[in-house]
Amino acid sequence: MSEDSNHSAAQPARPAVQTRRFSVSLVWIVPIVAVLVGISLVVHNWLQEGPSIQVTFKTGQGLEANKTAVKYRNVVIGQVSEVELSQDQKSVTATIKLVKQAENFTRQDSLFWVVRPRIGAGGVTGIDTLFSGDFIGADAGQSDTRAKTFTGLETPPPITYGEPGKRFNLHASDLGSLGVGSPVYYRKIQVGQVVSYALDANGKGVNVEVFVHAPNDAFVTDNTRFWNASGVDVEVGANGFALRTESLSSLMVGGVAFRAPDYSPDDQPAAEDKTFELFDDRPAALAPPAGKAQYLALRFDQSLRGLKVGAPVEFLGMEFGRVVAINLDFDAKTRTFPVNVGIVIYPQRLGQAHTKMLKVLNHNPDDEQAGVRLMGTFIDNGLRAQARSGNLLTGQLYIALDFYPKAPKVTFDPTARPITIPTIPSSLEQLQEQFQAMVEKINKLPIERIAGNLDANLVELRKALKQFNGKTLPGIEGTLQDMSTTLKSANATLADDSPQREQLSQTLDDLGRMTRSMRELADYLKRNPESLLRGRPDNAPADALQPSSRQ
Amino acid sequence: MASTDRLIICEHCDCVYERVELAKHQKALCLRCGAVLQRHNGLDVQQRLALSLTAAILWMFANFYPVMSISLQGLHNSATLWDSVRALATGPITFIALVAAIAIIIAPMFQLLLLLWVLVHALGRRRSPAFSLCMRWLETLRPWSMLEVCLLGSMVAVFKLAGLLDVLPGLGLIALAALSLLMIRLAGRDIRDLWVYLS
Repeated sequence: MSEDSNHSAAQPARPAVQTRRFSVSLVWIVPIVAVLVGISLVVHNWLQEGPSIQVTFKTGQGLEANKTAVKYRNVVIGQVSEVELSQDQKSVTATIKLVKQAENFTRQDSLFWVVRPRIGAGGVTGIDTLFSGDFIGADAGQSDTRAKTFTGLETPPPITYGEPGKRFNLHASDLGSLGVGSPVYYRKIQVGQVVSYALDANGKGVNVEVFVHAPNDAFVTDNTRFWNASGVDVEVGANGFALRTESLSSLMVGGVAFRAPDYSPDDQPAAEDKTFELFDDRPAALAPPAGKAQYLALRFDQSLRGLKVGAPVEFLGMEFGRVVAINLDFDAKTRTFPVNVGIVIYPQRLGQAHTKMLKVLNHNPDDEQAGVRLMGTFIDNGLRAQARSGNLLTGQLYIALDFYPKAPKVTFDPTARPITIPTIPSSLEQLQEQFQAMVEKINKLPIERIAGNLDANLVELRKALKQFNGKTLPGIEGTLQDMSTTLKSANATLADDSPQREQLSQTLDDLGRMTRSMRELADYLKRNPESLLRGRPDNAPADALQPSSRQ
Repeated sequence: MASTDRLIICEHCDCVYERVELAKHQKALCLRCGAVLQRHNGLDVQQRLALSLTAAILWMFANFYPVMSISLQGLHNSATLWDSVRALATGPITFIALVAAIAIIIAPMFQLLLLLWVLVHALGRRRSPAFSLCMRWLETLRPWSMLEVCLLGSMVAVFKLAGLLDVLPGLGLIALAALSLLMIRLAGRDIRDLWVYLS
């Protein structure tokens, strides 16, 4: 270039032509666009890519890498990307790539299960998978913590989280014939099902979780009682024979029924996850609430044959507890074998009586000391326990608490635990005692002396009789003979042809004639009273002498 | 040597002609047999390189994105080119899998790599290392690259299956179509121009 500038001035200078060393053609837009498209696709994919989780199943049946979909409400939310045996070779681990929107499904309590055709108690499910192949069903959890590994369920959960309704916990002594999926009935309409069950932590009961679908979950109230509706309930009562069952399916798969007692004021729908007791049957469930139990000890000095654990305890005829323990004891002092009976009573079962009593006595049921004092006053007033025969045929006994004001006083020990209620012998026992007392009294009678006296008396009597026979009887014989002659002569006197009788009839005839003439005289005098003074007139007609009766 | 550079021979009847400069829309024909001797090439080296780069990207798309996906009653499946080769490999005709892999994946890949190698150097008007070897291989590979065949096969499959199943052409199929068109344009006989251009 320096050469160019040194050219002669005559000629116009040539401008420096500079070739662009590197010209960029427009065609480069094409690969740039391609790259941009590629980047956008990659970025899109990357953004779309959700979390990757691992789910372990017992078997890999139906699981295929890159084929088996993960679905929620039948929408694909992910895909199985890998299926392999776990390291201990006891299960199968499926790696699942979830889509971005499905991040909720990494919550710790999310559920995964393989949807296959299944025939269960509740019907047939998963028919469509016969054609489409198995897929993994998922249900998002509620927990705040996230997890990477999950344990797949072997059976689909009966209720998914999104389902409207409420879960409740039932506590029972045993499971009965319930199972997951067993129906829950309200007035014989199925409104829910058993979701899960598990043993108590201490193994002393079973916790059953039930789900009641909306809107029927509102019928589960605070007062609601649940009972096991499995099987058939046969009841033979005074009204005859009653057979109750919830439904045919509950016969086979069990079931739970619930209902609130008819009189349940201020009832509110129960909160979610409330725990209820699962009763064995409907009568037990609908009985008044048992309330707080109180343990009492009884000590009987008699044989309690026929008293069983579970026998009822009655207070003035109201059943309000049961026998929980019967133990034979040895009394070192008296060298006897008393029977210790433990009973549990539920004062609340007395209903109105209990509430009124609490009110009047201003008694707090939670105050143990006050309760003991109250029991002490009851015992002072004659509260006694008695084993009574409930059934004369079988000899079953029950415990009756009753007031016996005449019962002998007993000192009550308020510090003893459990509270001991004094007992009195049973009525049969009492009868036996009375009978025995009578026998004893009879025993005490001086029968020998009485017999001696009686014997002496009899000897005397015999002597008297001998005397009577020897002396008195012959006299009587003579008298009888005299009497006989007297009677004979009397007889002769009264005979028809006796002269005395003849004379008697003549006398009677004379007496009759005399009477007639007397009447005639009286009649004459009535008609002619003057004749009394003047005598009979000479010209008196003959008919005037006629008796008045003839006129 | 210089004189032979200016000569071209008809492929079909071996007539020798002198090379002519062609303008747009022009082509040189053999006087004896009427075959096309020369065609105007609208692309300069830079454009060729850009398109080769595009083709390389498309090749990646075609290999990493599913060519098509089918679904039937919820059963869903999709396949990339590589999946199809693998599917063949597991069958009884493993040898065909090798041929298929060469024809639709390896050959185009090598073609593109060689093109890029040669063109990148050609941009600076110099021959790349092993230039003649590369050019020879480009010629050798051309009949083995059967992307068009694969494209046609895929499209036939798509059309035929469309009645039976739900068939969705994937991104890979579009990339494959674009790639095969680009390959015809770039890796064709026109590449021979580089001999002259870089001499």
